[in-house]
Amino acid sequence: MSLRKSKVMRLVIMAAVIALVAAACGDDEEEAAPTTAAPTTAAPTTAAPEPEPEEMEEEMMGTEVINLAVLSDCEGAFGGFHDQDLAGVVAAFAEFAGATVTNPNKPTDGFTGASVAGVPVELVGIGCADDTADKAIEETRRLMEQIGADIMIGPLSGDESIAVANYAKDHPTQTFVNGTAGAMDTTMHVQAPNFFRFNGDGAQWNAGTGDYAKNVLGWDTAAVVMDDYSFGWTSAAGFIAEFCAAGGDVTSRVFPPLNTTDYSSFAAQLPDPDEVDGYFWVVGGTGTIPSLKAFEDAKGSLNPEQHMGNLFWEFAVGAFDPGMAGAYVGGFGTAADLALDSVSEHTAIMDRHFDDFPDPGGNMTPAALQAHSGFLVNYFVAAKALIQALEEVGGDISDDHQALQAALADTTVEGPYGPISLDSNRQAIVDSYVRQIVANDDGSLGLATVAVIPGVDQSFGGAFSPDIDPPGREVPTCEVRDLPWIGNSVPVVDGVPQS
Amino acid sequence: MGLGIGLLLLALIAAWVLVLATGTPAGPLIHEPRDFLSTLLNALTIAGLYFIVAAGFTLVFGLMRVVNLAHGSFFLLGGYAALEFQRFMVGKSGNISSSEVSALRWLVPLALAAAVAGIIGLITQQVFLRWFQGQDMRETLITIAISVILADQMLTHFGGLAKDIRWPGVLDHFLIVFDFRYSVPRLFMLFTAIVVGVLLWLWLHKTRTGMVIRAGVDDTAMVQALGINVQVVFALAFLVGSALAGIGGVMGGSFASLAPGVDGQWLLNSIIVVIVGGMGSLVGAMAGSLLLGLVTAFAPAYLPADFTHYSVIFTFVLLAAVLAWRPYGLFGRPE
Amino acid sequence: MTSRSSPLSRFTPQLGVLLAVLAVLILAPLFSTTFFVSFVLTQTLWLGIAAASLIFLAAYGGMISLAQTLMYGFAGFAIGNAVTQGGSKGLNLGLNPWVGVAIGIVFTTVLAFILGLVASRSTGLYYLMITLTFGVIGFYFFGQVTTFSGFGGINQIVAPDFIGEPGEHPVSLYYAALGVSVFSFLLLRYVTRTPFGLALQGIRDDPVRMSALGYNLVMHRALAFVLGGFVASLAGVLNVWWNRQIDPASIGIGEILALLIIAVIGGMNRLEGAWLGAFIYVVVNNYVRSVPLVDKIGITEDRFNTLVGVIFLVIVLASPNGLMGLGGSVGRLLKRIFRPASGRADSEDRIGEPQQPTNTG
Repeated sequence: MSLRKSKVMRLVIMAAVIALVAAACGDDEEEAAPTTAAPTTAAPTTAAPEPEPEEMEEEMMGTEVINLAVLSDCEGAFGGFHDQDLAGVVAAFAEFAGATVTNPNKPTDGFTGASVAGVPVELVGIGCADDTADKAIEETRRLMEQIGADIMIGPLSGDESIAVANYAKDHPTQTFVNGTAGAMDTTMHVQAPNFFRFNGDGAQWNAGTGDYAKNVLGWDTAAVVMDDYSFGWTSAAGFIAEFCAAGGDVTSRVFPPLNTTDYSSFAAQLPDPDEVDGYFWVVGGTGTIPSLKAFEDAKGSLNPEQHMGNLFWEFAVGAFDPGMAGAYVGGFGTAADLALDSVSEHTAIMDRHFDDFPDPGGNMTPAALQAHSGFLVNYFVAAKALIQALEEVGGDISDDHQALQAALADTTVEGPYGPISLDSNRQAIVDSYVRQIVANDDGSLGLATVAVIPGVDQSFGGAFSPDIDPPGREVPTCEVRDLPWIGNSVPVVDGVPQS
Repeated sequence: MGLGIGLLLLALIAAWVLVLATGTPAGPLIHEPRDFLSTLLNALTIAGLYFIVAAGFTLVFGLMRVVNLAHGSFFLLGGYAALEFQRFMVGKSGNISSSEVSALRWLVPLALAAAVAGIIGLITQQVFLRWFQGQDMRETLITIAISVILADQMLTHFGGLAKDIRWPGVLDHFLIVFDFRYSVPRLFMLFTAIVVGVLLWLWLHKTRTGMVIRAGVDDTAMVQALGINVQVVFALAFLVGSALAGIGGVMGGSFASLAPGVDGQWLLNSIIVVIVGGMGSLVGAMAGSLLLGLVTAFAPAYLPADFTHYSVIFTFVLLAAVLAWRPYGLFGRPE
Repeated sequence: MTSRSSPLSRFTPQLGVLLAVLAVLILAPLFSTTFFVSFVLTQTLWLGIAAASLIFLAAYGGMISLAQTLMYGFAGFAIGNAVTQGGSKGLNLGLNPWVGVAIGIVFTTVLAFILGLVASRSTGLYYLMITLTFGVIGFYFFGQVTTFSGFGGINQIVAPDFIGEPGEHPVSLYYAALGVSVFSFLLLRYVTRTPFGLALQGIRDDPVRMSALGYNLVMHRALAFVLGGFVASLAGVLNVWWNRQIDPASIGIGEILALLIIAVIGGMNRLEGAWLGAFIYVVVNNYVRSVPLVDKIGITEDRFNTLVGVIFLVIVLASPNGLMGLGGSVGRLLKRIFRPASGRADSEDRIGEPQQPTNTG
């Protein structure tokens, strides 16, 4: 506890300095008022060194406590998912490590009283990034170096994860389990031995879409619109590699820059609906809806059966025009409508540990309704895998995490939709899902799973490897190749896989 | 000299668009006249939206020398207000089709957005800015602080996901002339911009208030000495300028979408427009919008296909070219 | 007043205070944690250098430049492209880190000259907006042009051997940052006393007369901007050594405003204010969110930006010259009270400072 106390002291000093400064500023205008402001004049200058003596923290506490940190986003495009991310981690520790949820309406308040194999696990910090690498590293350093966490779950998004994996590489005696980031480079190219990812990458999440488009929908040609940055390319690469492997041809690739104000000039670059069999969309954030509107403006009304989007459409589906029902969506590693016991069990877990908590729209929504958000699920699975591996080593990380990291690499975790194991790059081998936008009875839109693709690995039959350039504007090229899962996808009807 | 270089540059661009632009997404005008026409209309219509937003920005600056860096926040706030109210009127929390949106279900939210943005602007001016009149830089810093706070609060209340306002069903069609088709909502943006421009011009040039405002721009002290309450005029200008941001937010939210970060984008658009056109000038805002609209639409269409992602550089080229020629913008005056 | 309880050094001229602070900073690694030195203080120092370049331009040239973020970022990207090897983005030239430093500084200085020429015919708010636009366009440039970076940025940027991996030997980077800070401070301070610096201040105060005297206003302003760019590029070097990565978000609108906020908190008319502002900013960024009290008034760590905004707003409303302005005016006042005869110290104190707050357009 003494650790905390000295920190509190330091913070009080800081706060006092700032308060004094703020108070003192009020006197600045009256040049001739030396009264109360006087003692503070030198304070700002000399305050600089003041906190330092108290910096001596007793960090050497051994491993009788495992310090856990979680890195998520609370600002930026994914800031709204902060509570869902934490809900996943907290629920996993409540369910599998005996933790008490601090506040069932506020996942970000964390948990207490967790222990694995008799060793207490304390949630010492929650990092708050904004989906940029810069901030993610700043927060990681704060969590690992200042607060002294041993293990971190996170980050949330692609570029963040590349930076964090690089950081991990430089800090081999700490352990990192990815939150829900999906950049391919993170595991395939950085290959940090202490960074583990139990979710698919952006390309894996789209596995099945190319096969489905070619062999079920009968597209021979497709145009791909992708955000012009690494996650956009990676996500599109999953479709392109598979569609081409199955014999399709990508005739047009269009790259609107991020934060494009007006998509009309980019929509105009696309072939007309009678010149191509289908379109694949990888436009996220503020661009998802405007890009579709620009398409309609340029090409006439939009036939949903001719369009497929990546997971960005899952985020936007609540705002789509009802006319989008029938279009297809690539996966996010989730399939809430599958009729599996593990799916309802996961819903029950979330319901057990949480009541209503803030959803991405800022409203209080029941935990059960948020249970199958991809963000929540991926953080949940990461935490569950970590707990399993910690159990495996008896909660002992005193060997510089060597045993824990070995155990994590061998962990197979039962996710809500199926088992997840890791390949030699510590990257998940997962099931993937193709989904379709459907209209619910009340007129709102939802997603229904139409195919399951079991056992998708990161390499796509060799389309991606550490020796090949990562996905980019020209990568991957369109080539026929043997993809193990082409033709092996399992159709799903009303939530029941038809194997 | 400068003019000569400018004309040469324009001639080169014209030649490029006319015949040379093979291998670009649009193709040269002589082969692909339809692509040219739709690109030109795209430029004009987006310029309309630029103008609506930038007009408010430049109005506030022209009168009060305040660079309102919270203008983008007012844009986004107005948009969100309209979005929430439209959803309330339709009775759905999303997945709205434009066939469900009557003209009223778009216009009432529009009015509300203008009111909300206008009032927030007025509060900003009355509570924070009016005490520091004449201290331009301090006022500007205050608006930065307000934009930081508003952005964070909007993220809390409206979430991080992009949402959009629906155009009313009556607009959501195509205009078809012979076999050329163009989107009516986009033409409506241009139309609204013209209406806004004309109304602003009439207000500033044909009404007593407008004359006071213009006089206030030139010589605040003299206007005050004449017994006119300049404070009321300032408040009014800020109200109108911010309301225009709100109206822009509804147009922008209908044409594109609303999300965190959109505030910064539209602030930047407004800043570029007024830098190019000249701060405080309505005509300048018009010219600046037009030029920025042309760059926005033509750069991605007429750059060689492998280079369309370099189009952002052309915004910079536009800026540099104009500033090299006229350091205070096309229609601006030195402070 | 409280003179009896305060050490005498508080009331010696600013030099004494500065030397005392410097001494404390030199000794800091002896009595504070690694994190405090490697994270808080090192970040404070390099941010302070960047902010000092902004304050220099604002205080002595009357030019509030929001392009300083671009300047340090540009240096960082140049170094990243020059020294990394086998990364997935950028040119991956794999050059010696010192060559990278040279490239970063030279390229940034050249860029500063070009941008300076474009911007320098404008003044005041116009200048602020133009440089803001430069900064944001820089963000988009590095985001979209994947030849040099792309939004993912450049990782694993190597520093020279003596810096090494900052996690392992944080102190050497800290002392490097401290040395560069002192150098930048002295350089900028020295320049303000040269004929060039005096002319710059003349141009700030009365451009018409200076022009009539035959001074080339645009060139003076542009050269001042070059100097600002040079100093900011030093901050950029330290930044990439410290962070080992750089991405467009490192120079995005948030960072642009952050640097301005730092300068304003510290005080726009005193170079020292840059480091004070940076220190406050870094501390607020890292510690205030975990103060228990803050949580109770409804500002949790995820609403941290609201808090920053409010603090900034309060400071701007209360004191346009930031904390240094506050310290300066009260300090002078105290001197007048306690040592009415020491006119010499008073005048000394004013050299190199603008006579008036200059952040009013």
